[in-house]
Amino acid sequence: MQASSVISHLPRLGLGAPALRLTGLSKTFPGTRALVNASLEIRQGEIHALVGQNGSGKSTLIKTLAGYHTPDPGAVAEFDGEPFALGHSVPEGLRFVHQDLGLVLELNAMENLALRGGFISGAAGRVRWREQEEETYRILERFNIELDIHRPLAEATPVQRTVVAIAGALQGWHGGGGLLVLDEPTAVLPHDEVERLFAMVEEVRRDGTSVLYVSHRLDEIFEIADRVTILRAGRVVTTLPVAEVDQRSLAKLMVGEDVDPDYRAEVAARPTAPVVLELRDVRGHRLRGVDLEVHQGEILGIAGLAGAGVLELPYLIAGQPRFPATGSIRLPQRFSEWRDVGDAKSLGIPLVPADRARDGIVAEFAVSENLTLSVLDRLASRGRLRKSRERDVVDHWTRRLGIVTAGPDSLISTLSGGNQQKVVVARCLARDPDLLVLSEPTAGVDVGTRVAIYELIAGLSRDGLTVVVSSSDLGDLLAMCTRVVALRDGRIAGEFAGDGLTEHELVNAIEGEHSADGVDNGK
Amino acid sequence: MRGRPSMAARVRHGLSFNTIGAVYVLIAIIVVFSIWVPSTFPTIATVKQVLNSNAITALAALAITIPLATRTFDLSFAYTITLSGVVTAHFLTDGTPLALAVLLGLAVGVVIGVVNATVVVAMRIDSFIATLATGSLIQALITMATNDTPIVNVHLQGGFAKIGQTNIGGITLPVFYALIVALALWFVLEHTATGRRFYATGFNPDAARLAGVRVDRLRFISLIVSGSLSGATGIVLASTIGSGDPTAGTAYLLPGFAAAFLGATQLKHGRFNAFGTIIAVLLLGTGVVGLGLANAPQWAANMFVGVVLIASLAVTGIQRRSTGATPWRKQLSFARLRRSATAG
Repeated sequence: MQASSVISHLPRLGLGAPALRLTGLSKTFPGTRALVNASLEIRQGEIHALVGQNGSGKSTLIKTLAGYHTPDPGAVAEFDGEPFALGHSVPEGLRFVHQDLGLVLELNAMENLALRGGFISGAAGRVRWREQEEETYRILERFNIELDIHRPLAEATPVQRTVVAIAGALQGWHGGGGLLVLDEPTAVLPHDEVERLFAMVEEVRRDGTSVLYVSHRLDEIFEIADRVTILRAGRVVTTLPVAEVDQRSLAKLMVGEDVDPDYRAEVAARPTAPVVLELRDVRGHRLRGVDLEVHQGEILGIAGLAGAGVLELPYLIAGQPRFPATGSIRLPQRFSEWRDVGDAKSLGIPLVPADRARDGIVAEFAVSENLTLSVLDRLASRGRLRKSRERDVVDHWTRRLGIVTAGPDSLISTLSGGNQQKVVVARCLARDPDLLVLSEPTAGVDVGTRVAIYELIAGLSRDGLTVVVSSSDLGDLLAMCTRVVALRDGRIAGEFAGDGLTEHELVNAIEGEHSADGVDNGK
Repeated sequence: MRGRPSMAARVRHGLSFNTIGAVYVLIAIIVVFSIWVPSTFPTIATVKQVLNSNAITALAALAITIPLATRTFDLSFAYTITLSGVVTAHFLTDGTPLALAVLLGLAVGVVIGVVNATVVVAMRIDSFIATLATGSLIQALITMATNDTPIVNVHLQGGFAKIGQTNIGGITLPVFYALIVALALWFVLEHTATGRRFYATGFNPDAARLAGVRVDRLRFISLIVSGSLSGATGIVLASTIGSGDPTAGTAYLLPGFAAAFLGATQLKHGRFNAFGTIIAVLLLGTGVVGLGLANAPQWAANMFVGVVLIASLAVTGIQRRSTGATPWRKQLSFARLRRSATAG
């Protein structure tokens, strides 16, 4: 499924006491049982994957291990054969890299590492920067990464930040053994950088350290993990050697029903439909001259590596570029003259942004407030918001998109990632657009919900909506697009539709000839 | 999908400590002082005193509610109060007709609002620092206009004095002004599209912008609102004290923010809102008046305000952590982190 080589696994070691053993772990929150009698055993030196849909109890399990939650009575935990009190203490050898990485982006790598591991200081608390610098290089050396340790991490690439977080978590642990917990480490990584991360994880394991690898992305499990534990609705379904499952059976174990990772939504190519959006010679931060025609009712995919402009193009079409851009845009059905892309904002093309937490939802708002944010004017009469109209809009879209909530007044942050995404999509659709742009529509969304999102988008296109979707996940594009344009180095490197739209062709177009390492270090 | 919560559930929510904790604290304070000073505290006179002596504080706190809703600070509002009062007094002293003098005072507020908005929104300077700077500029103007001596003149009596000193059944007009402003802000924030957009701008400007909200324009407007309301407050204050005092507004800087922040913990969790602010003003005002009647030492009032503020923000902070909502410190960080420029 992936555009990547399989990392050769080291011989599996399974000697001595397990690195971690949990039994009888339950956790009850008001109203929900997040974990029910879960057990987990991680062997010395293995990479153990933990998978499950949103809300399956993965985060609760990790947070309990990290001491944030106290489990219900009855849980037994052993680390390296030594019992410890879950929720009260965390063994020295148990280290965590949480999803948000826990870094201070304004500080550089050296300072971030020192914040965790301690500053090397002399008289009167003066930091010995020279020694600190050497220590930093020493810590980062094993990961073989190019990084200016004096620049703020905000300027580093996501994979560089992840490495700093991993190095920081492992600081001061030289015992061999130990267990590193990686919580969704690839959630913010572009796909082509995932391989780099895997190399880091292998490096950690080479030292004898076990890894508990939490992920949404099933393909990753097969590349990196030795065994996998599947959680569903707070219960451990089973733990299996990865060699004994395939994507389909794993997905089935996660969702409890048959889900096809090779799912293809029912969409029809529309090469003869009228053109609704045209771009001419669009250039920006990464884009180096892109011409594009989008036909009515098609789902046009934009594929490419990070750095090729896939993240830039959707924002540009929606008139929300992060960097200055030049070029022309026109919507032939609405106006025939070419306009500057800088004025695209006035065209009102809605965008489902890539980073849901950052650009998508207003976390402090209720579901209804999030959903209606773009159509407030329509809900008002004589200046006053009509709550009944708001409820009608919310009811309509929650039903149409199948959004699962505890009610329109519940905070959006109480929804699962997939349902939050549906709310953001609903907000865009409520504007009644004829063109919708989506960037990374399935980021942080689990397998079952992904298919729901594919079907949703395919259904909208059958109803006549034109969709432009960019994704670093080829699976997304293959599953729902009628046509895919591949970007490489800011230019269109290929266009695929119908039978020509295959993973193999796409990968070739995206990666070009000199793509073996798939590395892109920013600027 | 489930429907609306039941009436009973809504009433329970509306009366919970979580929603109107300050009201319960206020009741507790009233009980305590009624026992402590039974002869003077539980009287109509005390009620009137609390209302009359806190009307200006309420106006000041309401003035900054809208910018705060968009997470924009207006630290210059206290100086605006002073300047508009001083300017109005200055023109009245020169014999300018009352209506014109008042208009000029209001104009001061609007102009300051535009300047603040330009510095914060157009020049993209963090509002906390920017309005600190404009506050300093306003202070310079105040000194220029008054030489740091209060403007006292016979023209400040008569018609002008009526603006702030007229009372209806022992309750002065500023109390009614505060109520009217509170109602207006409540309507805007709760019942208009603009109000919803103010909150969206404050909570997540990036998401709001992508959703089509004109974030910059709203922040611009919010600062003009605070400038204008502060200007109006300054005129009322000058009328109440009967002079153009070059330090009159400064005293409201901390109480104004205290009431606005305490108010944001009430009624609408984490949202700066008009009636939450009013409840906060009443809570703090009642405590201060009660301490005065009980002959508590001079320092007791300030200590009371400080303790109540920290306690209320701490309690809400704890509740929010346990419910998993965004903690205060994250919501109120003065400068939103500039996100890294890593777009592909």
